[in-house]
Amino acid sequence: MQKDLEAKFLKDFEKNQNIAHKICRIYTSNKSAHNDLFQEITIQVWKNYPKFRGDSKFSTWMYRVALNTAISLYRKSTRRVKTQDISNLAYKIKATDYDDTEEQQLKALYKAIHTLNDIEKALIFLYLEDKPYKEISETLGISSVNARVKMNRTKEKLKNILNP
Amino acid sequence: MDLLDNYKKAWTNQPEETSKLSAIEIYKLAHSKSSSIVKWIFIIGILEFVILNSLYFFVDMETVMEEYRKIGLENFIYYSNILAYIIIFYFLVKFYVNYQRISIVDSTNTLMNKILKTRKTVKNYVIFNLAYVAILMMVATTAKINANYTDLNTTQIFMVVGATLLATLLFLGVLWLFYQLLYGFLLKKLKRNYKELAKLNSTN
Repeated sequence: MQKDLEAKFLKDFEKNQNIAHKICRIYTSNKSAHNDLFQEITIQVWKNYPKFRGDSKFSTWMYRVALNTAISLYRKSTRRVKTQDISNLAYKIKATDYDDTEEQQLKALYKAIHTLNDIEKALIFLYLEDKPYKEISETLGISSVNARVKMNRTKEKLKNILNP
Repeated sequence: MDLLDNYKKAWTNQPEETSKLSAIEIYKLAHSKSSSIVKWIFIIGILEFVILNSLYFFVDMETVMEEYRKIGLENFIYYSNILAYIIIFYFLVKFYVNYQRISIVDSTNTLMNKILKTRKTVKNYVIFNLAYVAILMMVATTAKINANYTDLNTTQIFMVVGATLLATLLFLGVLWLFYQLLYGFLLKKLKRNYKELAKLNSTN
């Protein structure tokens, strides 16, 4: 029984690990912090996996567990971003098969997101991942209206940083 | 097209992580030790219960009780101790129930609320203990002064009261500082994020 569950977890997590990697890129600014947060997310997903009932998609469930780990359970603060750390982002992103302009845009986007606070980061991340407002408000525990208002403000803020 | 839409496209097209983990690596990570603040709050909370309650082992209770007997506080100490243990038990149960209720599958808001609530139980427990000790000290000092009233002059009475107060305040001050550091270190980020969400829910 336990072995079955473990095998299922490993399969699900391996397939969806990019969700955790993206969250780590947003909430941390160097490789060791990235790995540290990734480890904690893996532990939390595994620990709570028996409670995953399968009435939603695994990925939807994992978004919530991973974001909650980054916002509430993970202690190390990464408010200040050092420029040399940001340039390190290159090591995480494959340069091949990737449009040059888009690569620049992606780097600028990550850099801009790093200046936001933890809650704004979560909002923008869920927007970029194309999540509906209902899911965003349920994940964060705020009303749909509030999610919408804050999202618009955060998007404006991000635009100003990207295009001052 | 909106400026952000371009960036969103770049986001969607971003390549997957180069160093993807294999199932074996994930297995190892999943079974490693967690360093989450919930775990630390639980460990520190339990330590506080244990340490505060084991302090009694370091005190020679016989001598202390003899002292209390002399100033006629025997019954007061006996009944207040029973009451204190009932209250301590209540805090312990509440702490455990609150801890059990913490679930990472909750919404961020609820999760943070539950973590802070668990921490608050420990805080209230410590406040209760300190208040209990303070009351005990005050009662004992008053009883002692009463018992030796004829032998003491006014200056001596003031000195006893003053010294007791000063010692209590100093002890509380050091403890408060220690708590600020310990929980400040642990909960700074969580509190900041919780406030941010609360602000969102109240102003819009």
